[in-house]
Amino acid sequence: MGSSKRKKKEKQKDFQKPKLKVGKPKPKPSNYTDTSFRSKAIVVNQQSLSVSAPSADSQFSHHLSLLSSKSETQRRESLAHLTTSVASRPVDSPLPQPVSMILPTVVPLLLDGSNGVRTQLLKFLRTLPESEIEDHAPQLLPYIRAGMTHLAADIRVSAVEALSWLVELAGSEVVSCAGGWIKTLNCFLSLLGWHTEESAKWSSNRSSFGKAGSEGKPMVKALHTLAEFLRAGIGKEEDDDEEMEDIDEQNGESSIFPLDQTVMQNMIPSKSGPYAYLNLFGQPRDAEGEMYETREDRYRVFSEKFRIPIERGVENARKEGGDVGRASAAVAKVLREATSAS
Amino acid sequence: MGKRKLGALEKVEADLPNLQQKIRRDPKSYVEDFRAQYYQYESHREIFMAAPSSSTEAGIISLRDLIDFISHVADCYPDITKEFPQQLIEMLTQHHTLLEPELREKIVGSLVLLRKKDIIDSVTYDTPAIVSICSLADLVLCGGSLLNTLFPILVSTPSKTLRELLFQKILSDLRASNAKATNHKLNRTMQTVLFNLVTSDRTSSKGLWAIKLTRELWKRQIWTDAKAVEIMKEASLADNEKVIVGGIRFFLGGDKEREEMEDESSDEDVIDVGRVKHQLGVNKKSGKKLRQVEKAVATVKKRERRKKQPHILNFSALHLLHDSQGFAENLFSKHLQNTKSKLNLEQRLLVLQLVSRLVGLHKLTLMHLYSYFQKFLTPRQPSVTSFLASLAQATHNLVPPDVLEPLVQKIANEFVSEAAAAEVASAGLNAIREICARQPLAMNETLLQDLVLYRKSKDKGVMMAARSLLALYREVGPEMLKPRDRGKEAAMSLQSGEKKEIRFGEEAPGEIKGLELLEKWKEEERRKKRREKGLPSDAEDEDEDEDEEAGWANWEVEEDDSDDSGGWIDVESDAEIEISDSDDDEPPSKKAKKETENEENENDDNQANGVEKEGETEEKSVSKLATTRILTPADLAKLAELRSQAKVTSLLPGSKSKRVQQAAQAHANRHIDDPLTAEEIEGFAALSKGKMTREEKIAHAKENKTDRSEFKSKAARKKQRKEEQGKSLTNREKARKKNVLMTLGKAKKKGKRSLVETRRVLKLHHERQKRGGRLGNRG
Repeated sequence: MGSSKRKKKEKQKDFQKPKLKVGKPKPKPSNYTDTSFRSKAIVVNQQSLSVSAPSADSQFSHHLSLLSSKSETQRRESLAHLTTSVASRPVDSPLPQPVSMILPTVVPLLLDGSNGVRTQLLKFLRTLPESEIEDHAPQLLPYIRAGMTHLAADIRVSAVEALSWLVELAGSEVVSCAGGWIKTLNCFLSLLGWHTEESAKWSSNRSSFGKAGSEGKPMVKALHTLAEFLRAGIGKEEDDDEEMEDIDEQNGESSIFPLDQTVMQNMIPSKSGPYAYLNLFGQPRDAEGEMYETREDRYRVFSEKFRIPIERGVENARKEGGDVGRASAAVAKVLREATSAS
Repeated sequence: MGKRKLGALEKVEADLPNLQQKIRRDPKSYVEDFRAQYYQYESHREIFMAAPSSSTEAGIISLRDLIDFISHVADCYPDITKEFPQQLIEMLTQHHTLLEPELREKIVGSLVLLRKKDIIDSVTYDTPAIVSICSLADLVLCGGSLLNTLFPILVSTPSKTLRELLFQKILSDLRASNAKATNHKLNRTMQTVLFNLVTSDRTSSKGLWAIKLTRELWKRQIWTDAKAVEIMKEASLADNEKVIVGGIRFFLGGDKEREEMEDESSDEDVIDVGRVKHQLGVNKKSGKKLRQVEKAVATVKKRERRKKQPHILNFSALHLLHDSQGFAENLFSKHLQNTKSKLNLEQRLLVLQLVSRLVGLHKLTLMHLYSYFQKFLTPRQPSVTSFLASLAQATHNLVPPDVLEPLVQKIANEFVSEAAAAEVASAGLNAIREICARQPLAMNETLLQDLVLYRKSKDKGVMMAARSLLALYREVGPEMLKPRDRGKEAAMSLQSGEKKEIRFGEEAPGEIKGLELLEKWKEEERRKKRREKGLPSDAEDEDEDEDEEAGWANWEVEEDDSDDSGGWIDVESDAEIEISDSDDDEPPSKKAKKETENEENENDDNQANGVEKEGETEEKSVSKLATTRILTPADLAKLAELRSQAKVTSLLPGSKSKRVQQAAQAHANRHIDDPLTAEEIEGFAALSKGKMTREEKIAHAKENKTDRSEFKSKAARKKQRKEEQGKSLTNREKARKKNVLMTLGKAKKKGKRSLVETRRVLKLHHERQKRGGRLGNRG
């Protein structure tokens, strides 16, 4: 009995009104939290007291620096901001910062863990002026290759997308830069699982390890990109382009008629790093990292190393039918053209 | 088709450890995955090589993870990873200054891992690479091997953490390659490298690494040869102070360190196999527990095997020196006499200690050394006791007395006077005693008699020091003392003419210690036997033969190898009988006189042993014993026993005064290799400091009361033991400590129980007790 009395009292307590007395401080409620604190000094680290809003340029560089932020939403939103600011700038006005400054911070995001960031990155890359990308292809390629062999399937897919974008823009640069031909083809082979005979069989479990991608049909995308890549490297049209260029050049030469061939050689070269193939300052390259600048070179290497596995792979893919089979037909077509051209 | 359930690990996007584990199990099926990761690594490497200083954190997988992964499974795919080690080495050697610490550490670790997997070598021998690398000017990269890579970086890197890591890795690699058997080839190469490192540039401090490595390996008894000592010798003759001090300290302390290390390793925590096995029976059985037991048994067996192994006799560094005379001279002229040398006093003292130790140990002749001491022998000189100790250490019986005499005189004048403080006087007297113990001729009669007078001093320290000097001269040169100071024994021996004057350069012929004891014992045994047989005790007999046989047979039993020892026993024992026959009836020869002298030098031993002086004939036969017959193992065992017995009897209270005993003991405990320290010179100075304060007294008293567990009660001791063994309380203890409130309910009810209930409870309780508690012992 005693305990129940006590409980009753306690219950009653909650509903009693606190008595207020004159000259005494108001009693604190029971859920009162003391928020005061003691400190020797209060330091305000940085305070932005500028009245005017930050300029577009400074915002751009600020967001560029935020790309290495820990939170993925922050990265994605910064990228989005960059994309809009690049896309919405007045026509023919230069970028807020040169591409050579932007790329080194942007490119590592190709290997970012979050899907959103990568898709946003592709969007951003597409907004960049096409003419300037060409010179930076060698810089982009290692990241793309790293993405193509990544353990996570999603990253592989977006890397393939990035590669197809790059090939579209600067195909000849991609296939002829240092390591661009053999290494990239190697990555394709391991991406498709075509390296050895047994792994290329349709019954073997390809890309067996790691999480399967959420975006479907990675195989189809990879095959399409491979076709594009091969066309850029050893395809016939590419040859035509070069010939056309040659003709253009000849025309140009003839247009500045009084100057002869020797003068042309001494003029400022049209592409960046014209003597890169000499490799004066870099590490000595091995066969894989070598530059293969002409179609003949590339074709020779291709027929030595890659023709057999790729043909085998294409054959197997064709047998598989469906989307994959159709995609493999494109590759097969490029291969046929290449053999007939040489 | 239902949705497949994903394992926790599969959900992770990029799980290299998981892949690594799968590859380990089945390398063949995962070759494509590995190849993809290898390409990934290559592209990352490319990115990295383009800008080595920039961060390598890209996305979820970093270069570090990839390197780790590949090096772990590299042995599964040797053809794919052919270039991998070389690439790592390149990365490290070219960019070790720029790399992030974590990546750098990972690369070093991976290289060590590859070495463990035998993918790369420790050292490439065919090229003189490592030697040329150590010229440090240019880091030539050649050969893919661990030490070739790590060592040059160790010497050249500015990062402290990296140096520590590399040093540790190099050391562990050297230890690992010497673990099973000594890898002479590797050791030789490494020693050559270190030697070149020290000698190539004497002014640089890089030699310090050679010293650290050598010292560590010396400590662990991996390097015990003259080559290692040679490295240290070169180091102590370097121009850089740090290197010099490192080398010198090695000679002064390296061997002691080695001994301590050995002691430490020998008394590791003892594993009680029985207990471990018992615990396995009691506790829940699991694979882990079983493995623990197996491991414990294996370690115990290993330790026993190690114990049974013959003790390896390692020479101390000072004995392994080639050309110690040249070394001492160089040290002295380069660091001490040279006015341009930049060493400070402390470092000079170290050098002086080493030089004087070399001189004392190898009995070198270095005349300048003694005159060098002259100017330091004043009480105002800082750390003068170290100088005194060094001087005493540098004295040996081949130093001309006329070189030492002025020094002794100077010590006496400067230190030992009524005006000097008591500590100073006692230190001076001690130093003089130490010098004279090594070269008694350094003292002249008048000075000695003056100094001995200090034994009447009121100060205890001075008095003790003077007395010990007196005791010394009673033994070595009583004729120099005044007749009344000589003491009974010395005076008697002087009168009987046993004591002979010591002459300069005289060397006592060596002999086996305690051999005369053995001889005497044998003689007694023979007499006893003959007496039992009723024969005259002095005559010759054939039964010695039997003794011999027994002695050799005994050896067989002890050693447990009876394979081929039987063959040569017979032959030897035949020869012995003849010789031992001729032994005893050989008439005393003219050599007797020399023998006596010999005895005199030894006679402090004899006195201490409390052995009676034997007749001249016997003395002669003593020395003959070792030369004429081969001692059987039984003899040697007996010899050791007699020696220890003699030592014990000499320490018995009756035989000598306490002071002499102590002195004898101190003398006996002292090894020729041990250095003489400043503390020994200061010795009695503590006595003359005056009275202790109360606090000091309490501290002093507490010092001796470390553990008083023997005075604790039996119960307390038991409790302590249980605690140490990690056991919990007994049930009774638990019951006693139980909270009262928890027991209240039962107590309340207990009074109201009916008789039937009480009976039931009691019965249950009784049964439970029989069974041994709730859980029970059986079933």
